[in-house]
Amino acid sequence: MLEQGWVGGRRARFDTAGRVRGLVSHVGDQPVGAAAHVAVHRSTQPHALIGAVHTEDALAMPGVYAVLTGADLYKQFGDRLLTGPAFADQPALAHEKVRYVGEPVAAVLAADLATARAATDAVWVDYDELPPVYDLADALEGSAFVHDELKPSSVFGDLRHLRGVRDTNVNYTYTLRHGDAQAAREAGAHTVTGEFWAPPTHHVPIELPCTIAWVDAGRLEMLTTTQTPSYVRQTIADLLDLPLSRVRVTTRPLGGSFGAKMYDRLEPLAAALAWTTGRKVRLVASREEAFLLTTRHGAAVTSSLTADAEGNLVSSIADVRYDTGAYADVGPRITAKSGMVTPGPYRIDTAHVRSRCVYTNKPSAGPFRGFGVPQVTWSHESLIDELAHRLGEDPYAFRRRHLLREGDEAPMGTRMHSADFVTCLDSVANAIGWFEPLERGSGRIRRGRGVAVGVKAVLTPTIANAVLQFNQDASATLLISTVDMGQGSDTIMAQIAADVLAMNSERIHVVRADTDATPYDTITAGSRSTYHTGNAVRRVAQAMRDKLIALGAQHFEVAEADVELTPEGLRSGERTVPVAELVHGHFGARGATLTAEANFTTSWAPYDKETGRSEKVTEHWFAGAIGVQLTVDTATGRVHLEHLAVAGDVGRAINPALVEQQLTGAAIMGIGHALFDQLVLDQGQLVNGTLLDYQLPSIRDLPDKLTPIVVESPHDDGPFGAKGVGETGILGIAPAIANAVRDAVGVRLTTLPLTPESIVTALENKQEEES
Amino acid sequence: MPTLHRPDTLDEAVELLSTVDNPMVYGGGTAIQILIKQGILFADNFVDLAGIPGLREITPGAGVLTVGPMVSVRRMETDQRVRAHAPLAAEAYHQVANPRVRNTASAGGNIAHGDYRLDPPTALLVLDATVLASSVRGTREIPVREFFVDFQETAIEHDELVSGIRIPAQPPGAGRFVKNSSLGENDWPCASASVLVTGSTMHIGLGAVAPTPRYVACDATGLDDQGAVDAALAAIEPELDPIPDVRGGVAYKRRLARATVEDAVRAAWKDLQHA
Amino acid sequence: MTVRITLKVNGVDHRVAVEDDTLLLDVLREQVGTTSVREGCGVGACGACTVLSGGSSVSSCLALARRYDGAEITTAEGLDENDAVVSSFVECGAAQCGYCIPGFVLMSTELLTDNPRPTEQEITDHLEGNICRCGTYPEIRRAVATAAQRRSPA
Repeated sequence: MLEQGWVGGRRARFDTAGRVRGLVSHVGDQPVGAAAHVAVHRSTQPHALIGAVHTEDALAMPGVYAVLTGADLYKQFGDRLLTGPAFADQPALAHEKVRYVGEPVAAVLAADLATARAATDAVWVDYDELPPVYDLADALEGSAFVHDELKPSSVFGDLRHLRGVRDTNVNYTYTLRHGDAQAAREAGAHTVTGEFWAPPTHHVPIELPCTIAWVDAGRLEMLTTTQTPSYVRQTIADLLDLPLSRVRVTTRPLGGSFGAKMYDRLEPLAAALAWTTGRKVRLVASREEAFLLTTRHGAAVTSSLTADAEGNLVSSIADVRYDTGAYADVGPRITAKSGMVTPGPYRIDTAHVRSRCVYTNKPSAGPFRGFGVPQVTWSHESLIDELAHRLGEDPYAFRRRHLLREGDEAPMGTRMHSADFVTCLDSVANAIGWFEPLERGSGRIRRGRGVAVGVKAVLTPTIANAVLQFNQDASATLLISTVDMGQGSDTIMAQIAADVLAMNSERIHVVRADTDATPYDTITAGSRSTYHTGNAVRRVAQAMRDKLIALGAQHFEVAEADVELTPEGLRSGERTVPVAELVHGHFGARGATLTAEANFTTSWAPYDKETGRSEKVTEHWFAGAIGVQLTVDTATGRVHLEHLAVAGDVGRAINPALVEQQLTGAAIMGIGHALFDQLVLDQGQLVNGTLLDYQLPSIRDLPDKLTPIVVESPHDDGPFGAKGVGETGILGIAPAIANAVRDAVGVRLTTLPLTPESIVTALENKQEEES
Repeated sequence: MPTLHRPDTLDEAVELLSTVDNPMVYGGGTAIQILIKQGILFADNFVDLAGIPGLREITPGAGVLTVGPMVSVRRMETDQRVRAHAPLAAEAYHQVANPRVRNTASAGGNIAHGDYRLDPPTALLVLDATVLASSVRGTREIPVREFFVDFQETAIEHDELVSGIRIPAQPPGAGRFVKNSSLGENDWPCASASVLVTGSTMHIGLGAVAPTPRYVACDATGLDDQGAVDAALAAIEPELDPIPDVRGGVAYKRRLARATVEDAVRAAWKDLQHA
Repeated sequence: MTVRITLKVNGVDHRVAVEDDTLLLDVLREQVGTTSVREGCGVGACGACTVLSGGSSVSSCLALARRYDGAEITTAEGLDENDAVVSSFVECGAAQCGYCIPGFVLMSTELLTDNPRPTEQEITDHLEGNICRCGTYPEIRRAVATAAQRRSPA
């Protein structure tokens, strides 16, 4: 019988009862004692040179300890003030120039937050305005430049050639060339084209970002809301020019993140201020400020898909532009990783993709659940749907015919394994009744169905480490740097270890990331933890099992091969010794611990600079599909979702309940992106940056029926065959909904979100064309 | 930081309004706190009505219900007397924001706020309610149809406060409130309408589709439902003056206003047939 | 002006010092220590700061503390582990990161007190002002229905 706490069991998350009653404490809940509370004065200009920064009035206010500017910090840190995961281009406080409305210009340290915030209004800045670069068109026109020269960071070696490039807003270009796509398009019988737009959006985890930093015995210590503690430690060490051993980054469980709390957010500024002033500092973003810290990339895709006379896919061509805002963040990575899957998970003879990451004078865009892939999925799943309609084929069957199968090589050169698109598509089609007759409606309300698939590569190469302490009483303490932010990583890691060690997973404590204690882990992002850290955990548990078996062999005086680890203890033949007794006997002490450690590292073959192809661009693939049935009110344009099915191939579900929640949670977030969620900027100014105006899905926006479907085609190298699932469910939501709208009312929309206004406008245009 | 005054009587409150600098009445506080946080509220003194006895009363009279300014929006929705006396009003109050906001927000503050998107004014307009405005000069009555003067501006003077709302009994006939959002389902309304059909007259109150809540009436004598829809759409046309924003452009908001009114009229006509 | 008020939080009297503009949210977090009450948006739109005052839900981020002198405040910490709503949320797995969940629990408690057997639509209507960004809504809906059943079996 399956133990609920082992692999495949539906055990509850750690401390669900504590979460429900609010007893789990987060970074912002920690008492800080005597500390300076920090608020920042923000730029009112999208693009300007900074003249004088007048801080005297703010400094004179009671309770204000200090006011620091970018110039003050630059004096101390020089170019080390510029940080970022792909490009070292972002100063903790603007230095010499501001690049977006809302950029931090000066930091006020005060006795309390209200005083600090009030004092930011007393800071005045003289600006010398520069021509603003508001959008992709401005940026690519290339008359004004957000940065004078490109400054790739040292994190990614393959960006080195970009150092010092001037007079461009394009900080990175990824190109995929497979065959002669242009010639194939010209020779092809049927071509569909589109100009697609996915707007910038925000993650809006309900917990606001918060960072506390202090200096302790010459070390910089920090407690912060981050998904990337190991990265932050490196960044702070570089910024302060300290050895890694003199920087400590700790976390608490996050109240959601979705990509918002990673890389450089509040941490560089907090570290710089604590180091410079010697004070303990606490920074917390208000909701309005959090909107300015990072966004999801708005992306434009100009694309085509061509079939020959028999309906075979012969050419995919796309020009993708990611608007990364004022700072590159991880935009160049997103540009490449999404560019390579822009043709979609299909057998296509030829492909040509140009994917560019573009600076503009807007808040910086960074990682967001899906890492740029939903934006290109929006293109390829709309195109193939339209092509099926053009050919008079069933959109489900047309996709199915062309989907990549196990062992197939995708256009970017890497083979498919454990990516069962066909089963995902079949299962969502079945779930929503694709093969049943549809009551389409005849009056104002029209009904339609749509499907979409999605493909994404896992972050590769990455490194995971795990340390396991097995306690004498047969409980265990697992040290990893994965951050539990709601996805349930602590729970499934314990399940993996417990399964190997034949123990109760409730007896395993997972230590929160603390860079003084927990070992290096690249990041908690990109759905990589189950596979990477999961493998490290499986290995460390196996190493511990080997130790216990060795002790058992000594105890029983038999060969190790004759000893077995069971839930009752070590067994050899008829004899059993409880583990606690065995370990006690070994050490002759209660409470002693056995320790093991393990590493799991993945590798890749970097893609060719000219063709963008690689035989192993990723360790594994995520495969998902969406099916939806909906109605459109043709009078108001409102879409009502009757049934949405979301399927993901997870290799093997370590905990099916948590996998289902990842699928439905991603789907609900995706519904927002499809129908109403977007950041609206007017001349660089955010106009809907409060939750009164910014639209998030509420319980009212749920489909009448929401069906998660777990598909399992085990990965050869995954822990128990498992892969991650955090992003799989969001990839195809928007195109599935748009395809169903197309089915219901005959209009093809290419701009997200699909607001009622855009739908009725398209219907009116269609009527005009028809009459 | 404004000073918070907590008067015990209405006389004290109006006295404060006439004497302190730059006063503002503090009712439920939900809107005021938001304006403070957005940095767009400039008051030096808050006059808090919460401690004044009697302002939370709902008082039945001859054919009218007088509602104290501090009666919560939630109570307007749930109170049996309001539901029996003016079900259309109860329904409109029921649709305001969410239950938590309705618990705190006050009926007086709701209309004094003067926001063009609010739901209750549409019902108060068709019911021909009266707003009581008190100051040191006494109490005057303002027909709600004259209350909403301009964008975010009401007929309340700076030294006045809303001391009550008189709602006439909903006459026999049919009344319906409908609202539509254009983004998330629980977003602010993009268009709302109250329709009250009584005798030969159709009264229409409009929300969110002009800088102020709007009221129109038209003759409905002998109309079938389609005729009533046509008459209603003709009547509202001159009143539609929507403000374009992230929730929609002018053309879309006009369209949604018409669809909303049509739905309300058809629902009312269905009620009449079943009556 | 600093004044002293008394808040009865989860059955215990707390004498606290507040200014005219002190928000109930800040008093509860910083002086009383009930950190299940959380700021998510600051404008009453997300529900993470929900408390019950005399059984009625309040956005504590919009509430002036002075007005709650003598009030009986309930936060999620004050609910018993065996409370029908709490135990139903736990059993239904109605928490992912859990940051917003105390607000949902309190809104659900208010709903079931007023309306012991709500329909699915009534559950939706009552919870529409709370945002769960992890998207736990299906489990939350199940949890409220389960709690209703548990509190007043048919």
